[in-house]
Amino acid sequence: MSFALKVINISKSFPGVLANDKINIEIPSGTIHAIVGENGAGKSTLMKIIYGMISPDSGKISVSEKEKKFSSPKDAIKAGIGMVHQHFMLADNLTVLENVILGIENATLRNINKKKFKNEILEISDKYGMPLNPNTTIDELGVGEKQRVEIIKVLYRGAKILILDEPTAVLVPQEVNELFENLNNLKNQGVTIIFISHKLDEVIEIADGISVMRGGKHVGTVDAKTVSKSELAEMMIGKSLPKIPKRTSLPTNEICLEVSSLSGEKLDSKEPFKDINFILNKGEILGIAGVEGNGQRELTESILGIYPLSQGTITVDGINIDNMATRQRRSLGINFIPEDRQTQGLVMDNSLIENAMLGRQNKDMYKTKFKSVNFKNSRKFSNKIIDQYDVRTPNSSTLALALSGGNQQKFVVGRELEDNPSLLVASQPTRGIDIGAQSLIWEELREARDAGLGVLLISADLEELLGLSDRLLVMYEGKIVKELLPEDATPELLGAYMTGLK
Amino acid sequence: MNKLFSFIKKRYLIIVPILLLIFVAQIERYSELTSSGTFGAALRLSIPICLAGVGAIYSERCGIVNIGLEGMMVMGTWFGAWAGWFYGPWYGLLAGLLGGALFGLIHAIGTITFQVDHIVSGVAINILAAGVARFLSVVAYADVPAGGATQSPRVDERIDKISIPYLSGGKINQSETADVFRSLEELDLFLISDLFGLLGGLTRNISYFSILAVLLVPISFWILWSTNFGLQLRSVGEYPVGSESVGVNVYLMKYIGVTISGAFAGLAGAYLVIESAGIYREGQTGGRGFIGLAAMIFGNWKPLGTFLGSSLFGYADSLQLRSEESVHGLLIIIVSVLFIVGIRSMINKNLRTGLISLIFSGLFLFWFLNSSTIPNEFVFFTPHITTLIVLSFASQRLRMPKFIGRAYKKGELT
Repeated sequence: MSFALKVINISKSFPGVLANDKINIEIPSGTIHAIVGENGAGKSTLMKIIYGMISPDSGKISVSEKEKKFSSPKDAIKAGIGMVHQHFMLADNLTVLENVILGIENATLRNINKKKFKNEILEISDKYGMPLNPNTTIDELGVGEKQRVEIIKVLYRGAKILILDEPTAVLVPQEVNELFENLNNLKNQGVTIIFISHKLDEVIEIADGISVMRGGKHVGTVDAKTVSKSELAEMMIGKSLPKIPKRTSLPTNEICLEVSSLSGEKLDSKEPFKDINFILNKGEILGIAGVEGNGQRELTESILGIYPLSQGTITVDGINIDNMATRQRRSLGINFIPEDRQTQGLVMDNSLIENAMLGRQNKDMYKTKFKSVNFKNSRKFSNKIIDQYDVRTPNSSTLALALSGGNQQKFVVGRELEDNPSLLVASQPTRGIDIGAQSLIWEELREARDAGLGVLLISADLEELLGLSDRLLVMYEGKIVKELLPEDATPELLGAYMTGLK
Repeated sequence: MNKLFSFIKKRYLIIVPILLLIFVAQIERYSELTSSGTFGAALRLSIPICLAGVGAIYSERCGIVNIGLEGMMVMGTWFGAWAGWFYGPWYGLLAGLLGGALFGLIHAIGTITFQVDHIVSGVAINILAAGVARFLSVVAYADVPAGGATQSPRVDERIDKISIPYLSGGKINQSETADVFRSLEELDLFLISDLFGLLGGLTRNISYFSILAVLLVPISFWILWSTNFGLQLRSVGEYPVGSESVGVNVYLMKYIGVTISGAFAGLAGAYLVIESAGIYREGQTGGRGFIGLAAMIFGNWKPLGTFLGSSLFGYADSLQLRSEESVHGLLIIIVSVLFIVGIRSMINKNLRTGLISLIFSGLFLFWFLNSSTIPNEFVFFTPHITTLIVLSFASQRLRMPKFIGRAYKKGELT
């Protein structure tokens, strides 16, 4: 067996962490090899080393049995290694063609031979069965198509080894199937694929071999055909996978939130959402599924009074809040976990104490006798969150930016859940965080629901939606296209509604 | 015919005012609106703005806001005048270019290497340039009788001018030829004399410097949209992380872009000295750098659009210089544009904009009918007002580079 890529004794440490500890992985040519591990397990560091973005402290890399030393991605590309990053490396305002050929030739003042490049690109897209139009600009494309452009871009540079970093994170199930088809196609043409993921089902489906990483170490490599999901999970986190248990209590019949014929004001001459009607009861989690950009964000923001409405009414606990400002709404107990914790949820340059009273700073408990800010109560509250939500931080005076993503998110969730909300709007509550923090947040959300809180849950993670929700709504192009119970739904079915296929 | 119709339908907002302009120009007292003299002056007045604006494209397309154009232009005027006086006009041109490029480089070092906020750095450049120009004048012209702290001696020589033989009266072997364009213009026929006024103005007595400046517009378009250098430069302003991931030298591209924009601004400054005034005077640029930036925005960050934007300004400027009476005729054009925009907004159910436009249209009409001249202060202000009005209508369909104005740190590849 010949090996496309060998990683020999690679170590890399950053201040305070050993990100890679003597990693040895061999990848046979012409296979799809998955590398799995939790966030922070060292997968990304390893991939950056292989792609020449960072250099290792010690160890060697060999490509096709020849030892190589990379000082920049350029060297890696020359050696036939290409990478499709999780965040697409595409310039929106440039055409597909321009993006693909960018950087191939030196920056000279010679005319670009567009015709030649176009034919070459079309040839590759034909060969691997990935259709695309070289003359469209990137911002006209969907996520799946953008990914295709990225893959073509890498192939065009003559890559024989393709690294895909969490390629399915941004795709809906149908697009995932299409991607897998493409990948199998590539494999049959002799391309070696390294597939980074933490979604075990997918990895077992697509990969030939699977290497597991944990805490910067290579735990082992297994054959995808024989391994089971629970075995993988145990290797990955050292214990068995957290499960979402079924609920025991039932939703009440008391209405928590009612919206009727809600439409948002036009944005770019299009209404982001239109004629939305639903009721959320107390003690219920109502999930909203949808591909991002189909109006969910504007809908949640309009409930908070951030995004303007063109028509419709919102009632919370029987009180009409249409004419209330955001501050009044929040003082009613409408709490909000925003989708982006770093720009909307926290002030990154402020301490946790200050962040703890964010959004509730007008409450009497945060005022002293002389109407100045009462930091004592805020400190008490932030300490409570830190204890109860296992936020790992030296103390509550630490700046928010010093925390890891998972801990930031736990802090935000704690803040929004722990001051007696009457309604919680949770937007992507566990996006981009590790399994440990995720299961804790799920647990807390469930407990709050069982205690009678109404939760509106917006998520791109279908597993999360199916596991947590008592009822599901699917949004597509600003409208609710389907209401269904999680028992009747599968990820494939949801995906079909989300993309407008059904 | 169908094609023509759809073209008119798509461009009515431009075509209708132009037709109106020609109609109005038929009236004797407004005849300067389309005379060859007006167009010739318009060209000369718009070139500095156009140069600054096209230069700004290089900078903005690679992601750096260049509000320091004005300062770079000041450097262009100073060095242009100094070298022009000392060595001759062509050296002045070169020195102005280099002076602007130097200050462009300073802006690049500030914004790229030291990650200073682009606006802060740009404002600093403007202040610095004013100070440096004054300082250099004091040092360089201390013993020169005609010069001083605020002005340079005259640049005596000029760059040669040409006209096209037979068409606009150029010379062949030192002998005069016919001037067909002028004869046609003087026929006083509707549309024909206006058209040949335009052609004559643009081809008669044009200096090599002007020709060079106008040629820089298509050349810049070719560089930015058809070469690898241009592609890399534009990609850097859109998504530098992606550019870096494919081996583009992001810092180098940004440095080159900003320095080129400085060189263009410097060239614009040199043009003001060598072609227009013949002398460096403090405050000579008069905000043309900023107007260049506005012209670039009007042109949607593209060279040809920028050229059109600056022509508009140059036209208004030349009108107010040549004939105060004619400016009054412009009122009817403002009325019509506002009217069209108002009606269009009403149809698109954008009631507020529509109503405001219609009201203002009515007000301007009232003013037009009840006056025969415009107060002097307003005449002087015409070009600025025109720019303002046009920009506020143009700003809806603009697409600026995505990563503009943000600091980029190398190796932040995630």
